[in-house]
Formats: sequence, C-alpha cells, structure tokens
Amino acid sequence: MEEVDKILIHALKQIGTEVSEETDSIKRFTSELIVESVVKCIRVIDPGLGSALPTSLPPGMSARFRVGMMLAQACQDIGYKGEIGYQTFLYSNEPEIRSLLMFLVEKLPRESAEASDQPTGKSVVLQRAISAAIKAQLAVPWLPPNCRLPLHYATQSQETLHSFHVQPLSLPQSSGKEHLKEVKDYQRDILLPITAQLSSRTCLVASVLEQHTAELSAAQEWDNEWNSQGLLSRLTPQEYRSRKLTRLHKRIEDQLRSAALPSSESAFGVSHATSDLSELLQSFSGSTHSDHILTKGSHFTHTQKFTFTQDTTAVTNPIPTVRQSEGDALLRQQEELTSLQQQFQQLCSHVSQLAADMKHTNVTNAQVMDELKKREQANSEKEEKILVKKKTIDLLPDTDNNLLKLQAVVEASSKRVINLATQWEKHRAPLIDEHRRLKEICSTQDLESSRKLSEIKSLHDKISVSTEEAKRKEEMHKQLVTELENLPQDASRAEYTQRILEIVSNIKKQKEEITKILCDTKELQKEINNLTGKLDRTFAVTDELVFKDAKKDESVRKSYKYLAALHENCNQLIQTIEDTGTILREIRDLEEQIEVENGKKTVANLERILDDYKAIRQENSALAAKIRDG
Amino acid sequence: MAAVLSSVSDTDCKKLCHRVVDSLCGQTPIHKQILSCSNQEWLDLLNFLTSLFHKTVAENHSEDKVLAELSEAGVSQSGIVLDVLRSRKEEIRQSLLDRTLSISSTTLQDFDWQLKLALSSDKIASLNTALLTLSLDVRENGVLKPFSIELNRKELAMLITSLENANKVLLQLKG
Repeated sequence: MEEVDKILIHALKQIGTEVSEETDSIKRFTSELIVESVVKCIRVIDPGLGSALPTSLPPGMSARFRVGMMLAQACQDIGYKGEIGYQTFLYSNEPEIRSLLMFLVEKLPRESAEASDQPTGKSVVLQRAISAAIKAQLAVPWLPPNCRLPLHYATQSQETLHSFHVQPLSLPQSSGKEHLKEVKDYQRDILLPITAQLSSRTCLVASVLEQHTAELSAAQEWDNEWNSQGLLSRLTPQEYRSRKLTRLHKRIEDQLRSAALPSSESAFGVSHATSDLSELLQSFSGSTHSDHILTKGSHFTHTQKFTFTQDTTAVTNPIPTVRQSEGDALLRQQEELTSLQQQFQQLCSHVSQLAADMKHTNVTNAQVMDELKKREQANSEKEEKILVKKKTIDLLPDTDNNLLKLQAVVEASSKRVINLATQWEKHRAPLIDEHRRLKEICSTQDLESSRKLSEIKSLHDKISVSTEEAKRKEEMHKQLVTELENLPQDASRAEYTQRILEIVSNIKKQKEEITKILCDTKELQKEINNLTGKLDRTFAVTDELVFKDAKKDESVRKSYKYLAALHENCNQLIQTIEDTGTILREIRDLEEQIEVENGKKTVANLERILDDYKAIRQENSALAAKIRDG
Repeated sequence: MAAVLSSVSDTDCKKLCHRVVDSLCGQTPIHKQILSCSNQEWLDLLNFLTSLFHKTVAENHSEDKVLAELSEAGVSQSGIVLDVLRSRKEEIRQSLLDRTLSISSTTLQDFDWQLKLALSSDKIASLNTALLTLSLDVRENGVLKPFSIELNRKELAMLITSLENANKVLLQLKG
C-alpha cells in the first residue's frame, strides 16, 4: 500500500495540495488535509462544480457537517460509486479515503497524454512554436522607448525592421588561381573583412544571405544539368562547358543578326539602334575570335552608320551660330531646318541609291565571278586535249614501230596493274581483318561505356533518393527530439515503471506458488478420495466375510459388532477433524474482520462523534439561550 | 592623367587601385585619398583608372597594351596597377557580366517579403487569411523605385506560376 500512497501524494502535490513531508501515507491524513485534497481534485476535474466548495473546514460543527455533505454530493456527481457521506471526511478511515482519492486521481485530466496523442507533423510543430513565440511576445508589456531593456528590442524597437538591401561582397574565391602571388597578396593585405566592406551594417546579413543563395542555386543548377544531360554526352565537364558556350554564342549571334538585318534594310530611322546592336555584336564576336562571320553581314550597316554620324556632326556645328543673333533666330532656325531637312532627304535618297547600286554590283560581281570560273575550267580542259593531240601527232611518222612499242607498254602496264592488284589484295585482307577487329572492340567498348553510364545514372538516382531519405529521417529525429524536450519532465516515471514491473514479477511468483499449492491440494484430495474408496471397499468386504461367519460363530459375531463400532467411530473422528478445520478457517476470517474493524478506528471515531454531538448540543443550547435573551 | 599616379607612394597606389576596383564592382564609392592633387585631377585619375580596368577586362587587352596606356605613370606604379588587374580580373569580369545581364531598362535590385495573418476585417469578425507583402526594389533607368504589393494565397500562386513559366523559357533558351 505504500507505493499506492506515494503515487497518490505525488499526484495531489502536482495539482497544488500542500502535503507536508512527514505525511507519507494516507493513514496520516487529517480531516483538513483530506477535505483540501478532495476539493482541489474536484476543482481540476470540474471547475464549475469545485468553485462552490471551500478548501478548509469551518470551525463550527454544523457548518462542518454541511461541508461534508456537499463534498459527498459532489463526489457522487462526478461518478464515485462507493459508500460516501459526511462521515467519510469527518471521521475518516483509511481504506475508504484511499479508494476515494484513487478514484479522483484517476479522473484527473491527463494533459500530457492527450498532447502526445495529437497528430504530429512538421507543420504542427511549427505552429506550436509560432504560437509559443507570439504568446511570449504578447506577455511582454509595451514600454516607452527610454525604458526599454535589451529584452524589448527584439519586438518593439523600430531599428530591427530593416528592409532587404543587398550589396556585392568581395570574397576570396577558392577555385583556380590561388597560386598567383598577386592574388595571395591581395587577399592577405588589402581585402577587408566583409563586415567592413559594406556601407551600413544593416546590409550585412542580407548581403551574405544573397551571396549564399546565389552560389547555392548556381551549384544546384549545374548539378542538375550535369546529371541529366552532361553525363550522357560523355564529355568531361570542361569540354561540356566549352561546347555549350560556343553553342550559345552561335545562337545569340544568329538571333541578333536576324533581328538587325531586316530592320536596317527596311527603315533608315532605326539604323542608329541597329548599328549600336551590330557594334555590340562585333565586340561580342571579337571576344570569341570570329570576326569574319560578322563583317560580311554588317558591311552595309557600317556605311549607313558612317553617313549618319557625319550627318549628326553637321547638325551640331551650326548651333553656336544660332545663338549669336537672337533677333531673327526663329527665322534662321526655320530656314536652317528646312535646308537641313532637304539635305537630310537628299542624303537619304543618296544612301538608298547607293545601297541599291551596291546590291546590283554585288550581284553582277558574283555572276561575273561564276562565269570566270567556268571559263577557266573549260580552258584547262582544252589545254589537256591539245597536249594529247600534240603527242599523237608526234608519234604518227613511225607508226608500226610506235604501235608495237605502245602495245608493249600497254601489256606491261596491264601486267603491272594485275601485279599491283594481287599485292593490294594481299595487303587488304589483313587490313580488313584488323578493321573488323577494331570495330568489334569499339562496339564492345561502346556497350560497356553505355552500361557504365546507366549504372552511374542509377547510382545518382540512388544517392539522391537516399539523401532525401536521410534528410527526412533527420527531420523526424529533430522533431521527435523537440517533442521529447517539450514533454513534461516526469522524473518518477521510470521509477514507477520499474516498480510496476517488480510488482508484476512478484504477482507472477505468487501465482506460481498458488498454482503449486493448488496442485498439492488436489493431489491430497485425490489421495484422500482414494483412501476413502479403499476403506469403503475393504470395509464392505470385511463386513460381508465377517457377517457370513457371524451366523455360525458367537465370537465372530462379537468381532463383527466391534468392527461396526470401529467404523462408526472412525467416521466420527474424520468428521470432527473436518469440523475443526472449518472452525479454524472461520476463526481466521473473524480475526481479519476484527483487524479491519480496528483499522476503522471505530472507538475513537465514536468518541469523536460523541464529542461533536455534545458540541452541537452546546451550540444549540447557546443559540436557544441567545434567542431567549433576544 | 596617369602622371598623378607617379607622385603616390607604392602602398597608397595599391590601396587606391583596389578601392577603385571595389567601386567598379558595385561597393561603396571611394573618397579622395591623395591630398597633393586638385579635385579635378583626382576625378580625372578616378575616371582614367576605372575606364582602364573596365576596358582591359571587357575587351581582353594584353598586358603590353595596359603598360602603353600607363606610360605616363612611373614603372613601379604601372607594375602595381598590373598586379591589381591580375588579381582582380575575375571579379571585375563577374561584375561586368552582371551589368550586361541587367541589360533591360528595368531590373530587379532587391526583394523582400513579409507574411502577415489578417485576423479580421471591418466587416468580418474572423478572417484568418494569410497575406504576403512583397516589396520590390526596381531600378528603372538607373533610379531606384520601391514597389510593394500585397497578395493573398491565390494571387501568390498565380505570380509563382508565371515566374516559373518565365524560368522555363529561359532554360529553353539556354539549352
């Protein structure tokens, strides 16, 4: 029972009952303490019901009775089924109080248990954290600026509300040219720490965050691209990058040129913008060392640009002269304007004419070039023909001889050709074999490499999957840790569980013993039954034998009588033993009952009841006297 | 212009050049450090150095060309300028690339957001709507203009999807 009492007292202390250190069991509870703890319990369980109850006993006897009645009623309302009345509180006995307190403590709402049953998730934890933070901030009172402590600056100061401004930072790059001496010198001597690089300290966090995010997102993008496309291209990262760079350059050039050309031909007015664009294009291509691609495309735009710039200088020159005479400024301006416009139109028409001429000449030039090439080809063919014919004419005089010679030459050459062909065959066969072999090797290598590529890809996938899983698990771990920290620190929990386990093992042991004893009892019963049966049978047989002889012999008849008497006496003896056993059991039961009754402190309680009764009578008589006096 | 440089000591010259590069890379502009020259000279020197660094990195000039430009300055000073150029080349290139990237007339400089929970309005007692205040610092033709927008959940989703579409187009251009 000590364990139960400790748990009960612990629970009562938790809800705010002041239990002193000396009271370590229910037996030592005074009436006041009982009333206080019961009222506290009821208040926690049902605040509406408990608010009407006083936590301490009043001095007057009749008032005490009333409080006791009210408490009993409240307990019954909550659902206590045991016997309860004012006497439970005023004239307490240990088992009743214990069962009442156990009932009440079990009824106490378990906040922690309910909290842990709630669905747990990241968002729930976040929401809880947010609500806790807001609650804490709301709890802090507002103060005028001069009275603020550092505690208040976090929420009430205006200074913390900076907008997000980023400034570029200069950081030592960890890649590439660290070995350069100048770079090292710069990083060691000149480079300021980032806190000193910025104009205001408020930008610091924003700038650092921005830099980090930019680098991180760039790295992630590259990683993604490399895994999805770069690996399949079977190039090293540098090769892949350079190829992509050239491809991009080409693409941008194409785009810009296609945008620049039509507009420059269609309208003269926008040629300034387009010439800017082509300039840009040129500078751009200059960095890639491919000037020749562009020069032919922007040739025309350049001429346009030159004429136009000349034009603008012509316009700007007369301006100062206008200022000299302000009287007829307007007239002169208009004149100038018209003349300039005329000039401009002239120039425009001139330019367009020139452009048309140029186009025309370009086309004719190309045609002429083509013709020239054709003529040259025809020329060379004719020259060859002439050479052959010249030789045949030279050979004509000595025909027969020359014919023979020619035949010999032809035969020799054909032989040589055959010879060469056989030789070629000889060489060719091994070469073809070699070629085939190499091809096969190539294809196997291809297969191998593609297999490895797919392996690498699957590995990448696996890596990403497992990293995600690891992240998830880590988050879960974190969450669980926070939850664990948030749980109420019930120090005696482990102790309780251990005790419960001990108790369970004790009960098991006891159960085993009980079963053992039961077995023993059964065996004994069996033996007894056995023996009784044997006895009965033996008696029956003996009875029959003796009875047969008894008719004949007097002495045998006497012995038969003795036998019957013996049997009867023995039966009586057994009966008596059994009776003794039952009586002993009864005695034990009664002793237990006496103990229980003694535990109820009946005598003391009776005495107290008598005292209280006397006190009430006194109160009553005093009241009656008052009435009479009044 | 470079002649002013020759009157400066080596360490001062080094510091000055690095500060010029810093301001070229977008950090705080520098104040006058050399007291022996007039204001006009100082401005000219700054312009000269800035344009020198800018041109050299942008058009990938060789070091000889830079030395030719620096012929008026002393030998040690031009050596220092070259050193600075060598050590900061990558940084200058990066910042110039950034400038080229923001080629359009309006570019986003900074953005910031705040999440607010509207508990109720003048008509509705319990609203509980999350609102996002998005503040954008937009540089329009060199002038910084702050914008702030308040979005509810639906509008925010719309904004995000349109931005994602834009990103997709960009990726297609790249690929």
